[in-house]
Amino acid sequence: MNTFLFYLFSAAALLSAYFVVTVHNLFRAAMGLIGVLLSIAGLYLLVDAQFLSAVQIMVYVGGIVVLIVYVVLLVADVAQKQVHHAATWRKAVAGFLAAALFTLLAVAAHSHDFGVAQVPARSASVTEIGTALLSPERNGYVLPFEVISLVLVAAIVGAITIARGAGSDKKEAK
Amino acid sequence: MNGPSLNQFLILSALLFAVGVYGLLTRRNLIAMLMSVEIILNSAALNFVAFHHFRWGGDAAGAVFPIFIIAVAAAEAAVVLAIVIVLFRHKQQLDVEQADSLKH
Repeated sequence: MNTFLFYLFSAAALLSAYFVVTVHNLFRAAMGLIGVLLSIAGLYLLVDAQFLSAVQIMVYVGGIVVLIVYVVLLVADVAQKQVHHAATWRKAVAGFLAAALFTLLAVAAHSHDFGVAQVPARSASVTEIGTALLSPERNGYVLPFEVISLVLVAAIVGAITIARGAGSDKKEAK
Repeated sequence: MNGPSLNQFLILSALLFAVGVYGLLTRRNLIAMLMSVEIILNSAALNFVAFHHFRWGGDAAGAVFPIFIIAVAAAEAAVVLAIVIVLFRHKQQLDVEQADSLKH
């Protein structure tokens, strides 16, 4: 049953990912991205990572994709009219590079013994994740946790500053 | 329990990574390239979770880093989309090959 669900979610993720990178309508691509993210959230559930699955759906699907859809709709006419078809040689080179990369990764994953049999497969509970995130001990991540909040504040302030434009204050004054 | 194995997750994540790289190389629209980057970031996070589950017996580090990846992806999306809006205001299009000057 788990194997069947794994193949189902994998097929869904790969098909939606291919849809995202090939379809020309950006709004449809954003819908495909939702498919990819939901399939990966399903895969997280398969390996007992419920908290990550919830975070994936709330932050990615509920936050980032909504942001992308807003911007696609703001620049909607460009998504429909000016479609640039990539040149055939460009597609061929990109396909070759992607295939080479996949082969490299697959060979590396297959040829190496990761020692899976040494420990029983289980996932961290929400309690363990929360303790690790806020613990100042050796295995704690409280410093990265605080730094990431600074990164988010800096990114959002920067995004607002960029998007407002340099002259918007003067226009409002007039 | 005969569920999926670590190698199956690694192959899936490598496939998603390759699809994302293909999209990044072929698309010329900035928003489409951002979506390809999101696919790549997700494949990396999937690798973290697979290793944490199958190899490290639920060590919390493997669950913490995907959260950081998602947070960084959110910050990146906010900045890129602000740049998209400014670029569209200046050039009326989003082709990255036309966006070759820092100032208007």
